[in-house]
Amino acid sequence: MSLLKPFSKLPGINSANILLVEFEETFQQSLADALVEETAVTVNVRLAKSLPLPKENEENRPRIDLVVFIINLTTELSFQSAEASLKCLDSGFFLGKVCFMVTNARNASVPTERLDSVRKLAASLHCPLLFAEDQTPAGVTNAAERLLTILKVTAGLVPMTTALYLSNLTRCTVPPDIDQPTFD
Amino acid sequence: MGDSTKSLLQRIIRRIPSRAIESTLRKWGRLTAEQLQSIDFTQPKWTVTQELLDMCEEGNWTLKFITELEMSYIIDNPNQGMWYAYQLMNPEDDANSVELTQFKEQFKSHLKQLVRHISLKMKKHTDEAVWIRIAWGDRFFQPNHMKPTYAVHYLQTPYVFVTSLTSKHKPLFSQAMTLSTRYQAIKDANLSGRNLTAIRDLLMRQFQQAFPTKHPSPLAERNQTVSHPRIEKEQDGNAANRLELACEAFGGGTLPQLQSAVYKLETKFRDQTNKAMTEREESFKCIVKFASTNLLESLRHCASSGFASTPVTPLLSSISLKGKNYFVITDNSPGAASQPRRAQDK
Repeated sequence: MSLLKPFSKLPGINSANILLVEFEETFQQSLADALVEETAVTVNVRLAKSLPLPKENEENRPRIDLVVFIINLTTELSFQSAEASLKCLDSGFFLGKVCFMVTNARNASVPTERLDSVRKLAASLHCPLLFAEDQTPAGVTNAAERLLTILKVTAGLVPMTTALYLSNLTRCTVPPDIDQPTFD
Repeated sequence: MGDSTKSLLQRIIRRIPSRAIESTLRKWGRLTAEQLQSIDFTQPKWTVTQELLDMCEEGNWTLKFITELEMSYIIDNPNQGMWYAYQLMNPEDDANSVELTQFKEQFKSHLKQLVRHISLKMKKHTDEAVWIRIAWGDRFFQPNHMKPTYAVHYLQTPYVFVTSLTSKHKPLFSQAMTLSTRYQAIKDANLSGRNLTAIRDLLMRQFQQAFPTKHPSPLAERNQTVSHPRIEKEQDGNAANRLELACEAFGGGTLPQLQSAVYKLETKFRDQTNKAMTEREESFKCIVKFASTNLLESLRHCASSGFASTPVTPLLSSISLKGKNYFVITDNSPGAASQPRRAQDK
């Protein structure tokens, strides 16, 4: 199994590379289309269903600055696939270069435990957890903007800040009473 | 001209949605142009019904007229109940030469021999199908027109589609059908659904099928979604491959609308962790049912998006390959060894 490493390649000039990992391969497409609209920086998007990535692309794959795991809460498989994929990432990524994006969190049919387990996962890896609306175009552009903000930092394009510094501020924390039953 | 005629008319009009009443009546062709003009179809349905009832009384419409109306409505809107497919077996030498008039006469005479009170009506539809409406009675009762059985038979094919046939009348119907089509037996094709054209297409293989090839198919070109040069798919080959396998299993293009698939398992319970159940002698009986508004489409999507593993298990692909949606799985048959799958509703 080949680990994906964050610092094994040299960065390109004024470019940022983002890897979107989504089991369903639906939202990542629209998100990618919104991400490449950015003009100030050259954004390269790589799409994957799960990790590890195929060896054949190793040569022409640029340095990945940010790995985004998109988790659709309506299916258990989506979460399980993301969890399995995490093992194929080098530990260097967890210094601020991984984030989780959850879709369909407002769906009423989703069991609350599933969101809790995603939050626990994100908190245990010290990663930020974003929520996105994948049904509306506005939601997609909004999600893309938030990702771009993080991406620019992790690609080292923003002076005076680093990925590690940002992730200390934005990482997900689990409320202490998450396992307590609610009485509402 | 009795109350039964009127109540039947009332019942039929109640089933037809108000926007379709005018076209149905026009198609029926029993009303004169003036009569049609005199009815105001913008009025509520009960006024229209009342006008029709008055006309019925004046014109002394017979039961035959009313059943014609019902039949023409059902032929145009067949998707209103469960349709069950039956397959005729062991054709005799002249089975292929049975034509419409012969079939009509034979079917009528065979059924009338079996049941004294019966009302039959047959009509040939445009697409080679013979529609049969049977109102069953028995020795003491007049035919019950409120719950007629509808059957559709395609001449020169061994398939019959039936809706609302009770188990009491099934042997009578089967006998008349086999005799008049010059076959020797009839069996349940294990296929049912609400959409008549869908189960017909599935059984007669009239949907777009994809066959396994070793050459790269044009599918890959059709499904190129990545448009931007700066977007790149890492596992591109997989998706195209999965889609191709899924299309091979379930067919390409639009698939027939099937509502459910039922697997009746009569296999031994296999689970290493559960000793007590595994060691039992008797088979473990359970029923797995997949339900969806368009089952084949959802299964294909499951397979092409990677939810279900590809190549698709023969249990699922045989729905479209064999044209069945009710399976009994026992330990002896091939394919029985695979584990029962969890239902995925889409």
